Amino acid sequence: MGLKEKYHEYQRPILGMASVIGLILLWEFTLTYLIPVDPFFFTKPSLIGTAFREQLSGERLWHDLAISSRAFIWGFSLSVIVGIPLGAVMGWRRRVEYTLDPLLTALYASPLVALAPLLIIFFGVGLLGKAVLVFLLAVFPFIFNTSAGVKSADPLLINVVRSFGGKELDLYLKVILPGTFPYIVAGTRLAIGRGLVGIIVGEFYAASEGIGFAIQNYGDTYRLPDMFVGIIVLSAIAVALTELLRKAELMVAPWRAGEEIR
Amino acid sequence: MIPCIQARDISLTFKPKNRDPVTALKELTLDVAKGEFVSLVGPSGCGKSTFLNVLLGLLKPDAGEIRLNGKQITGPGQERAMVFQEFGLLPWRTVLANVELGLELKGVQASVRRERAMELIKMAGLAGFASHYPHELSGGMKQRVGLARALVTDPEVLLMDEPFAALDAQTRDLMQMELLQIWDRTKKTVVFVTHSIEEAAYLSDRVIVISARPGRAKDVMKIALPRPRDYEMRLSAEFNDIKARIWASLKEELVTK
Amino acid sequence: MTGLASFYREKEAYLLGIGFVVFLLAIWECVPLLITLPRGYALFFTTPSRIAVTFYRLLVEGKIQEHFYVSVAAFLSGLGIAIAVGLPFGIIMGRSRTLDALSDPYVTALNATPRLVWLPLFILWFGIGIWSKVMIVFVGAVFPLLINTYAGVKNVDRVLVNVVRSFGANEWQVMKVVVLPNSLPYIIVGLRLAIGRAILGVVVGEFFGSSKGLGFMIASAASNYKVDVVFTGVAIFMGLSLILTLSVKKLENSLARWRPETTKTF
Repeated sequence: MGLKEKYHEYQRPILGMASVIGLILLWEFTLTYLIPVDPFFFTKPSLIGTAFREQLSGERLWHDLAISSRAFIWGFSLSVIVGIPLGAVMGWRRRVEYTLDPLLTALYASPLVALAPLLIIFFGVGLLGKAVLVFLLAVFPFIFNTSAGVKSADPLLINVVRSFGGKELDLYLKVILPGTFPYIVAGTRLAIGRGLVGIIVGEFYAASEGIGFAIQNYGDTYRLPDMFVGIIVLSAIAVALTELLRKAELMVAPWRAGEEIR
Repeated sequence: MIPCIQARDISLTFKPKNRDPVTALKELTLDVAKGEFVSLVGPSGCGKSTFLNVLLGLLKPDAGEIRLNGKQITGPGQERAMVFQEFGLLPWRTVLANVELGLELKGVQASVRRERAMELIKMAGLAGFASHYPHELSGGMKQRVGLARALVTDPEVLLMDEPFAALDAQTRDLMQMELLQIWDRTKKTVVFVTHSIEEAAYLSDRVIVISARPGRAKDVMKIALPRPRDYEMRLSAEFNDIKARIWASLKEELVTK
Repeated sequence: MTGLASFYREKEAYLLGIGFVVFLLAIWECVPLLITLPRGYALFFTTPSRIAVTFYRLLVEGKIQEHFYVSVAAFLSGLGIAIAVGLPFGIIMGRSRTLDALSDPYVTALNATPRLVWLPLFILWFGIGIWSKVMIVFVGAVFPLLINTYAGVKNVDRVLVNVVRSFGANEWQVMKVVVLPNSLPYIIVGLRLAIGRAILGVVVGEFFGSSKGLGFMIASAASNYKVDVVFTGVAIFMGLSLILTLSVKKLENSLARWRPETTKTF
């Protein structure tokens, strides 16, 4: 009965893979034998596969990814550098929170991408505009999650460290920071999602390179298989990053920080 | 006169997904007479709660027969109701709505249900708390709601799965006394599962010791104390004897297996 | 002075927060009075009062209404479809382990990917009319709804299900009496997230390949350096977003009546 037990244990991934493979086969079969495909509207897995191989061995895909990654990393790093300390101060000092919270909440809830056209036009079509957009979108999860993490510090532990003669810095390093860590990891996951939106929108809007631009460009020129390659590559990166962070969250904290703190 | 509950050679094995099968009950045989208060005691994991679920109709035995008043038990029914250790109150419903649950599921009219539920709420000593939510109540009060809810459909048999285990000692003692009062008034047949020998001896007409896994009925002891029972009886020498006998039987199950 | 002092203490949070916003707006307003910006930047600069005036002008001239209705229509349609699809699917996936395993790769991949990547494809398929916007709104909003409904269904307490079953409830009754009420708070949170995503979808969807809608208004104003109009559009979206999110938050809170306060454990 070993095989049956193995099936039960791996049931989820097995069914998942079966589902995806099944869909690909069905898709290919339908569009090859059942419905004639108008290349301007549909495409099929075999064509996407070919385009995939071409792009991987070519230069353009890697170049686009490099361009997009640079802007993303710049903007994301800035959001980490600004967001975490700001969130920490907000979590630590109540008055700071009272002052900043309404404004930040309002901004977080607003579609800041609506400013994208203005930002791109002001900062230009290159790295800077995209990085600023990524920063604006990604900074908020860091602020709010860090703040929540700091606030969740157990007063008992703080008293313990104080009673052993710990100073403010000790408190930060030994009690607050470790406690905040799971929240920050969760915030990173959210921030990546929002940051990717920033890159995509920025590149859709006015760019001549980058993965977002590539997708839109292929779409405009009706090169569907290439467009799908772009979408799949971006999707794969997004999934990889998100899943990595989810695993990190589970390792760092037994509980989940939840879908969203706010 | 046939016993109210008849269990003959009940066997049940759990087959969980990634682990070895677990035989919870093996050829368990026991009877419960109508109106009797019977306790099941036994070591952890011996299958007492499993048996209770079989009586409730939520679990089907692999072998053996289980009958209520002569008829086979095939699923849950109005004549049996359970009181759960973890209370199991629907947190989004008020006390009143929780107590009404059984009648609501039977399709009883709203005004009729409300009246009956309020009766039981009063009997359970919760008058005035009908519109409260479970999270506003203490453990003892939550279990009173559980009891009222179980009684609302006027079942013949009350199944109680360590109902007072989650309560503090004082509340527990209080609830035991109130349970006896309610039982005395309503004349239900009660099957009570507990870890506490003292609780079993105090409450029951008979105590059945269940062996360690796989569970079967090991010993049956009649509790010859008069009713109504008061708290002082627990301090008597006679009571200690009874406890010692139960303990002697139970001890073997705890040590050897 | 104790009256004033206690008033302050009570409302401190509000006063500081709103005060700060007012303070920032005031500074923003006064910047042109304090500094003269170089030509290049002056083109992009505006002040709150100018924005307000432009807003009023657009309203009076009736230029903004049509865009507003188009955006709202796309938003509501997309969100409506998302609710109609997301909730049932979330429930089904929560109840059937097989279906859950089969759909898991798609849900994970589609949820992790920024939904906006599909915009070029949708424009290709649905043209530049309202349907591509509705689809992008749908695709953005459906996942929080689906995933949260799923979580609510999966999260139901086994004991409660047994309790209700012990009273002889059938599957449908178990759903109605236990699973759905338990899922409601999760669904409401999903709705709040979905609203944010939906608005995002409208905004970006209307930036590209569109001739109507507030997003289009913003994009075309930006390329014409009409910064006031841009900010007016942004402000409207901000306002909508805030109103909707706050309303849903209030709904969340009223439903939380039956939940115990999560107290800090010591």
